[in-house]
This record gives sequence, structure tokens and C-alpha cells, in this order.
Amino acid sequence: MSKRYDIAIIGSGPAGLSAAINAKIRNKDAIIFGNKELSYKLSKAPKINNYLGFFDITGSQLKKAFKNHIEAMDINITEEKVNAVYAMGDYFAIMVNEKSYESKAIVIATGMEHSKPIRGEEEFLGRGVGYCATCDAPLYKGKVVTVIGYNKEAEEDANFVSELASKVYYIPMYRDKYGLNKSIEVVEDKPMEILGENLVNKLVLKNKEINTDGVFVLKDSVSPEQLVPGLEMEEGHIKVDKNMKTSIEGCFAAGDCTGKPYQYIKSAGEGQVAALNAVSYLNSKK
Amino acid sequence: MIKEINDKDFKQEVVNSESTTVVDFWASWCGPCKMLSPVIDELAQELNGEAKFVKVNVDENPVASSEYRVASIPTVMVFKGGKVVETLVGFRPKQAIKTAIERHI
Repeated sequence: MSKRYDIAIIGSGPAGLSAAINAKIRNKDAIIFGNKELSYKLSKAPKINNYLGFFDITGSQLKKAFKNHIEAMDINITEEKVNAVYAMGDYFAIMVNEKSYESKAIVIATGMEHSKPIRGEEEFLGRGVGYCATCDAPLYKGKVVTVIGYNKEAEEDANFVSELASKVYYIPMYRDKYGLNKSIEVVEDKPMEILGENLVNKLVLKNKEINTDGVFVLKDSVSPEQLVPGLEMEEGHIKVDKNMKTSIEGCFAAGDCTGKPYQYIKSAGEGQVAALNAVSYLNSKK
Repeated sequence: MIKEINDKDFKQEVVNSESTTVVDFWASWCGPCKMLSPVIDELAQELNGEAKFVKVNVDENPVASSEYRVASIPTVMVFKGGKVVETLVGFRPKQAIKTAIERHI
């Protein structure tokens, strides 16, 4: 049995960090997933004038201030990518590649994914469109599969699928050398739309069409509803109430992922509200 | 434990069943299926007598899984009167599955 944390925070931007310091102040055992850079958006900001108390500073200066703050409070960031979070009833199972973690409450602070889904992607999800090639590949034994890959890892998945499927097309969304099996056909073209009747039967690209039984879309980061299956969304954002509660009991969300405006101090404020309500949720369960 | 059924007895156990029947399509290599399994077990206990629960391993039972067009697993289907009345693709929290089943009992 693995250790069960009080709160797991997913994301290391202003929302996640603000949630982390407040959880720490309330003496809860929290784990925060993210990266050393904290937030790529923050590092890139040239000038910030709307963060109260900090005037005329760059994104990297504000990042440094955040970093000093969490270090002073002895908060460490776990540099691992969360693939999925399952609401098991009275706890959450957090899947990280080969490992998994457990927590009693969760705060989603993953920011906003800007790449839009392909037309038809959502409509045919589970009817030919999938996000986990290794999960569903055996269902496409002897069939034609197209993999739309946004990163190098997608190549390994395509190779795995090619051992089962009768034909695999690989559509790279980046430029690099591809480490693919010989049998895979690389199509350098832009996906436009996924078509079908009951199930997927075609992928329309800018310059051609491919007949295919399945389409796997493999991205760097997944949308919140794929990250936490069953999470209710509203216009592309996680649906929350004023306590930052989501549709799943014990699951809270904060920052850009909950909606506009996309601003640092709004994210930090929401992170605080989410953490404090996660603390009350934990206390009410005792 | 939830009963494992196969291509041969699918009709008898699910289609011809008089009660609302919940079918969990799964396979041993599927991570989300493993997570869903204890959730389904709990629901089977909570809804004992109100709905019937069965499991189908898609690896061993291609006929049933292709007849009902299972293209992604886990897939949970609710059958009533021999017809599919609800299809839930992918992992779902316990309450969401319970609500979907309760609509049909």
C-alpha cells in the first residue's frame, strides 16, 4: 500500500504554488507535481505591472520570488508528469507513467492547453478516436490505424500499434527525424477533420484523405476532462463554484484551467481558495 | 466477485436477462480497466438485487465486443430489455456510473 497524501496539487504555476503554501500553512501533507521552471508562461512574460506588491518586474523575476517563497517554506516540486487521475470514491489515484500516488483531495492547476482539438475528435472519442494507443491498440488488430503525434513519445506508441494493426499511418505535428518501424507510412500533412458514420472511417488532411478505422491523437498535455475522467467542463474550462469545487467530490481546481481572465494574481487567489476548501473537506471527513 | 461471461453465454446472461444488466468490457493490459474494477465491485454490492453486473474480457471475446462496437476500453454498457440504454467510455467516477445505472432501475 503506497502512502496516501492529504492533498495532491497538479501544476506548478501561480495557482498550484499558492495552493501549496496554503496547504503547508494549514499543516497538511501535500505533494505538488510540476517542473523546475514552475511555469513556461511566467518565464516568457516580458513585463508585469498588475501583480499587487510587485511593480515593473519581468516574468523571470517574479518566478524567482515565487521560488524563494516555496524554498523558504520547504516545499519541493515533484518533477513528474501526471497522465491520469482516477476518482476512486474516497481517494484519488494519480497515475505517473509506471508509478502511482494516492491522495485524499486534489487541486487541479494545470493551466490552459491552447491547441484545439481536430474537428470530429470529440464527436468520435471512444468510437475510433483514442488518446492512449497502448491501451486500445489490441482492439485494432488487423485494422488500419492513424497516429497523430505531437511529440517523440508518440513514435514508440506508433511502433507498438504497428505490430498489431494491418497498416499504420503516422502524422507528425513536429519536425524531427522519426524513429519509426519501416512498415509505418509517414504522412507530412495537416489533419483537418475526422469523419465517419457510427465509427471513424476517414481522416481528412489538407492535401489528401486517408481511410482509417482508428485515429490516436497523442499530445504533450491532455485536457482536464481526459486527465480526470468524469470531470464536468463548461466552455473548455473546468466547471467550478465559488469555493473552487468541481463536479467531483474532493476535487478542486484553480487558475487558467477554470476560466478567464488568464492572470497571475487571479490564479494565486483561486489556488488559495481551492487549498483552504480542500483543507475543510479533509477536516469534514475525519 | 462479479461474474465473468463470454461470447457463448452473452445472449443468455445479458440480452435475455430480465433485470437491468451492467457489462464491464475490460482486458488485462488496460490500466484504466484495473482502476475501474474495484469501483464496479463496490457498485455491484451497493446495487445488489437492483441490477446485475457482469464482466467481458475483450481479448477472449471478440464476438460480443465487436457486435457492440467496443472501440475503447474500459467501456461500461447498461442493458435493459435486451437493448443498450447507456454506454460509458473510459474511466468514470463511482457516482457518475451509479447515476447512469440508477436511471434504468
